[in-house]
Amino acid sequence: MAQCVQSVQELIQDSFVPKVAVLCSEDAQKITRKNNLNFSELLRPFCRLTSEGHMRDSNNQVQVVKNLRISVNNVVTRPSVPTSGVHSPAQRRLLSEVVSASQPAEGGVANVITAGDYDLNISATTPWFEAYRESFLQSMPASDHEFLNHYLACLLVVSSSEAVPVEQFLKLSQEQHMIQHNGEYTNPKWFIPNTLKYYVLLHDMSQGDEQRADSVYEDMKQRYGSQGCYLLKINSRTAAAGTDEQIPDPWSQYLNKSSLQSQAFLVDLAGDFNAGKVKSGLPNFHQHLETAIDMPGSLDCLRAVATETKTTTVYTGVAAGTSHGACLTLNDHNRLRLFIQEFTFRGLLPHIEKNIRQLNDQLVSRKGLSRSLFSVTKKLFGGGKVPEKSIAELKNTSGLLYHPEAPELQIRKMADLCFLVQHYELAYSCYHTAKKDFLSDQAMLYAAGALEMAAVSAFLQGGAQRPYPAHYMDTAIQTYRDVCKNKVLAERCALFSAEVLKSQAKYSDAATLLIKMTSEDSDLCSALLLEQAAHCFINMRNPMVRKFAFHMILAGHRFSKAGQKRHALRCYCQAMQVYKGKGWSLAEDHINFTIGRQSFTLRQPENAVLAFRHILTNDSQQTATQQGAFLREYLYVYRNVPGVCEVALPQLPLPCINSSATRVYFGHERRLAEGEKQAATHVSLDQEFDQDLAAVWQDLEEQVVAAANRGVVPSTFYPTQCCLNSQTDNLHFPLAVVEEPIIVEVAFRNPLKVPLVLSDLSLLWKFTLKDFSRPQPQDVMVGDAVTITNEKEAIAPRVRKGKGGIPSVCKFLTFSLLSWQARLKLLPRQTGQLTILGLVYNLASTPSTGDSTINSNSPSVRGRQDLEIQGPRLNQTKEEKTSVSHGPDRRLDPTITPPMPLLEVLTHHCPLPLTQK
Amino acid sequence: MAVCIAVIAKENYPLYIRSVPIQNELKFHYTVHTSLDVVEEKISAVGKAMADQRELYLGLLYPTEDYKVYGCVTNSKVKFVIVADSSNTSLRDNEIRSMFRKLHNSFTDVMCNPFYNPGDTIQSKAFDSMVSAMMVQAS
Repeated sequence: MAQCVQSVQELIQDSFVPKVAVLCSEDAQKITRKNNLNFSELLRPFCRLTSEGHMRDSNNQVQVVKNLRISVNNVVTRPSVPTSGVHSPAQRRLLSEVVSASQPAEGGVANVITAGDYDLNISATTPWFEAYRESFLQSMPASDHEFLNHYLACLLVVSSSEAVPVEQFLKLSQEQHMIQHNGEYTNPKWFIPNTLKYYVLLHDMSQGDEQRADSVYEDMKQRYGSQGCYLLKINSRTAAAGTDEQIPDPWSQYLNKSSLQSQAFLVDLAGDFNAGKVKSGLPNFHQHLETAIDMPGSLDCLRAVATETKTTTVYTGVAAGTSHGACLTLNDHNRLRLFIQEFTFRGLLPHIEKNIRQLNDQLVSRKGLSRSLFSVTKKLFGGGKVPEKSIAELKNTSGLLYHPEAPELQIRKMADLCFLVQHYELAYSCYHTAKKDFLSDQAMLYAAGALEMAAVSAFLQGGAQRPYPAHYMDTAIQTYRDVCKNKVLAERCALFSAEVLKSQAKYSDAATLLIKMTSEDSDLCSALLLEQAAHCFINMRNPMVRKFAFHMILAGHRFSKAGQKRHALRCYCQAMQVYKGKGWSLAEDHINFTIGRQSFTLRQPENAVLAFRHILTNDSQQTATQQGAFLREYLYVYRNVPGVCEVALPQLPLPCINSSATRVYFGHERRLAEGEKQAATHVSLDQEFDQDLAAVWQDLEEQVVAAANRGVVPSTFYPTQCCLNSQTDNLHFPLAVVEEPIIVEVAFRNPLKVPLVLSDLSLLWKFTLKDFSRPQPQDVMVGDAVTITNEKEAIAPRVRKGKGGIPSVCKFLTFSLLSWQARLKLLPRQTGQLTILGLVYNLASTPSTGDSTINSNSPSVRGRQDLEIQGPRLNQTKEEKTSVSHGPDRRLDPTITPPMPLLEVLTHHCPLPLTQK
Repeated sequence: MAVCIAVIAKENYPLYIRSVPIQNELKFHYTVHTSLDVVEEKISAVGKAMADQRELYLGLLYPTEDYKVYGCVTNSKVKFVIVADSSNTSLRDNEIRSMFRKLHNSFTDVMCNPFYNPGDTIQSKAFDSMVSAMMVQAS
């Protein structure tokens, strides 16, 4: 697994926190609305306690509660997702959006891991996975088999401006009682029958009468005791007064996150709403909905919500656009913080303490008397024991279900309470006992829950007193998944287990666990887990690079199935590092092909083109049909790259050009023999180069020059060569004459098993005008293919025009695995310096049907390939011998000289001995 | 018997790889490549001092849903990997061993060929036919 920002301990502690419900009167809501927040949102940034709390356990030992966080939520009475063990579509959508919103930072932290001969560039953190995990854990529905996310307490909030606040308190209290005990609502779930009620008098400093509030508060103290009520004063700042003051906005980080969530749900809910069955486990939207309903004229509000949902932008406006807490001063922030602290230490913790004590007493008395009795009766009546009160109990696959108040659950309740207040030792022993009980009752869901929490609390105890029972977790996961068919709980359990294993450097176990959790149901989840497994492999003591790569590919595949294109591309790219250039060509081609496709769909055509190039340039071992498919895809991508043809022609990878085999011929091509006439030359493009013959001719030429210069060969002399190839001396700029053609022969090779269609082949060149005699500005521009002119201007804009090439416009089919040559003629019209840069041509593939007729409709791409000829390796001096350096090769850079006399010699009936010496 | 046979060079690039169902070649390539991690782990598990006495045959590298992957490393760190169908329960450890021995012998013959350039992919008819013989027995 990748590194996480949170430590395991923090993660687990933050996942299970005491939950507190909020019931608000209308007036109180109006007060908090001024800040664009409702009451629970108002408190959210202050829910983590900075100071330590203390409480006594059943043995009167003082227990320290550190870094506690509480979770404050509005009461939502709508049934949440039935705990069927799968996510609802809305939840899936939410999770998928959370993941796609979290992308790796551009050029962000990447660490290089060196494993064997691999240097891998891998991002050490995976924020998308953490984001997924966070919202996954938040969206966990409250289940019957555990109490950790049931409400422990309820805040009743009433405004001081109310006519009779005490009456309002009574009303809210009754409402809470009704919600909990009426049996009408299955949601929310409450921890203990007598929920702690905490009375909060909300006072608006900007408009209310402070003295009246104080007197009401005194009255409340009398009534509810000073531990059970609080006077909270907020809104000290009038909107007009304090605009110049800069107040930090602690809400933004909490609410921006949730705005995404609410947005994700809005459409979905709006659809469901008319049908009257709003299904969602997310409290956030309900907060909005709730407030809308609570307002007077709620029907209008609802309609407003409905219209808002259609545009889906309004809520983000509410949540993120406007600033929060506009009416709050820093002093108010402190008051809120103090309120939470006071509530937790004076209200919540003592309440928990009291309940633990009560449960403990119950259990002790039961243990003493009935435990033995029970076990005896159980033995006697052979499992005939039915849990009390559970008449409606169902005997489903996961074993029996208890009634929420069943005595069997009391010990679990106590364990959960202990766990919430970080008393892990007691929690562990309770979970352990509970586990045994549940197992003997065959209540598998409950047993799995107890196992899971026992393992977690054993881990959180820390120290060496108890080793982490990994097999508890494994059993729990297995039970959740196979017996209870509850994928969500199994996944939660696996996430914790993997994280714990990771913290103990048991990467191999973690990886096995994560891989086991992947399934066909959720592509997104599987992808994330596979990616984490891959990270596990790379983090091992002996990094398993290839396993990492393979699982990255699997993850990438699942990401792309889940529609997370960006993540898929990233996975493939990371895996590519391992496969690249190691000779595993099939795998490499596959990855490149996928990268190409993904990049193309993500509108990164440059990367797509690059990836496809790789497939085609590699010495491909694919079958012909596969190669044909690659080629077609490549051409398709190319044609859809916007603007590429206008700016500069793309470099094409196919066919291969053997640039050193390029031959250049200067002058008119002559037929060597015509009837009886025999041309007095040995050079032609149709002939192979003959070293000995060339030496003879060179010798002859030298003698002629010496004779002309009275026996001295001038030092500037070098032999004329009218056909240049790889074996001739190409150190000098060759001479070409104006109005005499230059013929370039290029050697191609098609490495593929499918035919290629090339058309409109022509040379690409650069020309600098130079006058060797008097300047004769005859600007003769030979009509050239328009593309070349454009192209020329694009490549070398400062070069003056003035030469014309003769494009050999042709179209030909090249068969697979074949080499062939093409001759291109260039006719210079002015003197100067010419450089032949490369070739431009149209590349197309044949239709897949395999008929070899040239189809003019087949898609083609115009592109170029440069001719870069490497000179011979230098091997003269010592430095040249020790290093690898190459000399220049000027074959393609002819100097165009003014017209020269051209002498053609033909011999008739040439006597054989003369030519053969 | 075997569905895929691979010879991997010391530097972990494939010298030879062949599999029975041609259309699923990519999968086997991935399988063999991933198995190299296990091979490396097994080699490094044996101490440096013991490296000389190390047995060439590594045994079952790892089982997948459908296949079993066996490995063997020569003294020159050339790896042989055989992927066998896991439904074939008749396949004994001894038979796998003898397959590896045959493979090794044949590979040695290839190496002895003076026209073979060490490090090139193996393109030997004798080797090919030996490999096909080992794979054909399956059907």
